[in-house]
Amino acid sequence: MAETTGQLSGGTASAPGARSMTGASIILVLAFAPQLIELMIALAGVVAPMSGRGPLQVISAHASALSIAIPSLAQQYAAGGKTSLSSDVLLALIYTYPLIAVAVFTFMVRPRAPQDYFGGVVLMAIALFALWASSDLQGMRGFSFGAGTAPRMFGLLLLGLGAAVAVIGVVTPGAQLATYHWRGPLFVSLAILTFAVAIRPLGLLVVGLASFLIAAIGSQETRWREALIVGVCLTGGCALLFPYVLGLPMPLLPRFLLQ
Amino acid sequence: MDLFANLAHGFAVALSPINLLMCLIGALVGTLVGVLPGIGTIATVAMLLPITFGLPPVGALIMLAGIYYGAQYGGSTTSILVNIPGEATSVVTALDGFQMAKQGRAGPALAIAAIGSFFAGCVATVLIAILGAPLTKLALAFGPAEYFSLMVLGLIFAVVLAKGSVLKAIAMIVLGLLLSMVGSDIETGVSRMAFNIPELADGLGFATVAMGVFGFAEIIRNLDAGAGMDRDLVQKKITGLMPTRKDMKDSTPAILRGTVLGSILGILPGGGAVIASFAAYTLEKKLAKDPSRFGRGAIEGVAAPESANNAAAQTSFIPLLTLGIPPNAVMALMVGAMTIHGIVPGPQVMQKQPDLVWGMIASMWIGNLMLIIINLPLVGIWVRLLRVPYRLMFPSIVIFCAIGIYSVNNAPVDVVLAGAFGLVGYWLIKHDFEPAPLLLGMVLGPLMEENLRRALLISRGDWSVFLTRPVSAILLAIAMGLLVLAVLPTLRRKRDEVFVESEG
Repeated sequence: MAETTGQLSGGTASAPGARSMTGASIILVLAFAPQLIELMIALAGVVAPMSGRGPLQVISAHASALSIAIPSLAQQYAAGGKTSLSSDVLLALIYTYPLIAVAVFTFMVRPRAPQDYFGGVVLMAIALFALWASSDLQGMRGFSFGAGTAPRMFGLLLLGLGAAVAVIGVVTPGAQLATYHWRGPLFVSLAILTFAVAIRPLGLLVVGLASFLIAAIGSQETRWREALIVGVCLTGGCALLFPYVLGLPMPLLPRFLLQ
Repeated sequence: MDLFANLAHGFAVALSPINLLMCLIGALVGTLVGVLPGIGTIATVAMLLPITFGLPPVGALIMLAGIYYGAQYGGSTTSILVNIPGEATSVVTALDGFQMAKQGRAGPALAIAAIGSFFAGCVATVLIAILGAPLTKLALAFGPAEYFSLMVLGLIFAVVLAKGSVLKAIAMIVLGLLLSMVGSDIETGVSRMAFNIPELADGLGFATVAMGVFGFAEIIRNLDAGAGMDRDLVQKKITGLMPTRKDMKDSTPAILRGTVLGSILGILPGGGAVIASFAAYTLEKKLAKDPSRFGRGAIEGVAAPESANNAAAQTSFIPLLTLGIPPNAVMALMVGAMTIHGIVPGPQVMQKQPDLVWGMIASMWIGNLMLIIINLPLVGIWVRLLRVPYRLMFPSIVIFCAIGIYSVNNAPVDVVLAGAFGLVGYWLIKHDFEPAPLLLGMVLGPLMEENLRRALLISRGDWSVFLTRPVSAILLAIAMGLLVLAVLPTLRRKRDEVFVESEG
């Protein structure tokens, strides 16, 4: 969920204009986002071996799933719902195809309130993704809820609400898309990521200062000398405050120095 | 009498040196962070949550409560002095408070805000003590169907009172509910939507999401604005803190009305401090003989909303302590804090942990007293703090938040998730979605699912149980009525007026 939503926000972030063409293509990218993310993870797996499918497997599985999705649905319908569909096929059916339809729709209409329209569409995408993610869970058993009942219920509700927001955004005039800036989000995220990746191996003293300086790039007004001084003081202060005053265990020094 | 015995017990707990210290630190730190613009109450509490982990439960909650009302207080200080509301609750305070400051009457404005808050705090403390026990009894009579309906009512309240589109607010709540489904199913233990990521098996951490959506997202948004954030500081030295006799005479009825209104709105789930301050301001303006004075430095315009938001901030503990339902996002964080300390909020807390409940209630009163005593002399320091440029402040906040999230579980993945939710929050802001209902939905999600399941299990799958049980039916009827009212165009226009005014 988190990786997708992160991707979603990243995806729309590159949409400065409100033209239907760019909007439609971004939604198209969104439609294939889960497949692309899995591919990227698989590619990363080539470098640092992980369990899971290799990149070629991912491509072929999704390509075949996307192509056979509709025939297999028809087949399942003919068979009276006895055969079960694979997870990849379900992804194509539940998530990708509806979003492709939305992208085509976006290309054809000119929403009068793009801010609402694209907001609603992304909510729909999240809802569809959640519906797919909970599709393998147990549904209602008699009158008692299964694990999947509530997620599906809320997913359908969100789908409806997202669609309503989007439709209203098409029909009634409203706000244009706000402009996105890349500098602040990029460097603040990078700083956070640096912190997360390096806190264990490098310790607070190094990472604190490094993340501080990376975050500081996010503003054009940064003056380096004062940023450095404040960064050093803050890191020092935190290194005293968290482990010693508050008693929260935290690595302070790089691991290789301790060995 | 039980009430006094309980309160006395509470004061005995709260007055122990260690708890007094916790209360003081909480109030001070809360004010400190609350003064910083761009960090709201929710982010403040989320950010400071980890520093209470090492403490005993009572001390930790006393400190958190202190942080909470300290942050509110700090927010009003900046509203008055520099026209930057540190918190959403003090947006209306800025209208008249800043005008007073411009006229050189910052001192009386601050003093009235403090006095109003203190008075409201006293009343609310007594109210919690009085209402606590009977409401707990009521809570025990509540079945799952009633609980579910009450939560629906709370969520609808949050929607109706949120500013902006009703539809979008509902969508945010449902998104929150959906996010709360990530993790393990409560009954079967099946992993849901966790994609075999071990850190997700336990669900998305509430503090993580709160910090991302309110902390990081705010920072990124403020960076967009760049140097546009004007710091129209009141350079004049603040002279004469004490309000004149006329000020007192003018503001006394306003404080009283604000307190009553705030207390009521605070108890209702989904209400909370923000709407209380707006409502109190509007009420004062309606009642005033000369409404045109408002917005030009009317002292009632400071007194009423400040008392109202403080009263509401405190009475919102009532549903939390008695029913176990957090009425707003900050209280939801309190639930998180309680859970970390192994306390399950709800009707049992009052009986099983009297130290905790009454200690906390008593500490609120003490904390308010402390705020009034320590903060008026400290105003100068807070003003100086505001002169710290944002270019230095924001990386510090980023690091502090990152360390804070990391220390919750010692999990780097949490930090990454918070960062991702920061981007989500940024996106939400850009598309004019309110993040607060999302957070409330996320907290109430598991509770709602559990009670819905139970209610349907008991009724053997009969959905009409929510309508045939009288209390539940009434709650749902109120919720429906509210929703209809909110969607009605006439009322909506009025609502919008209130908010347009407040932004002007």
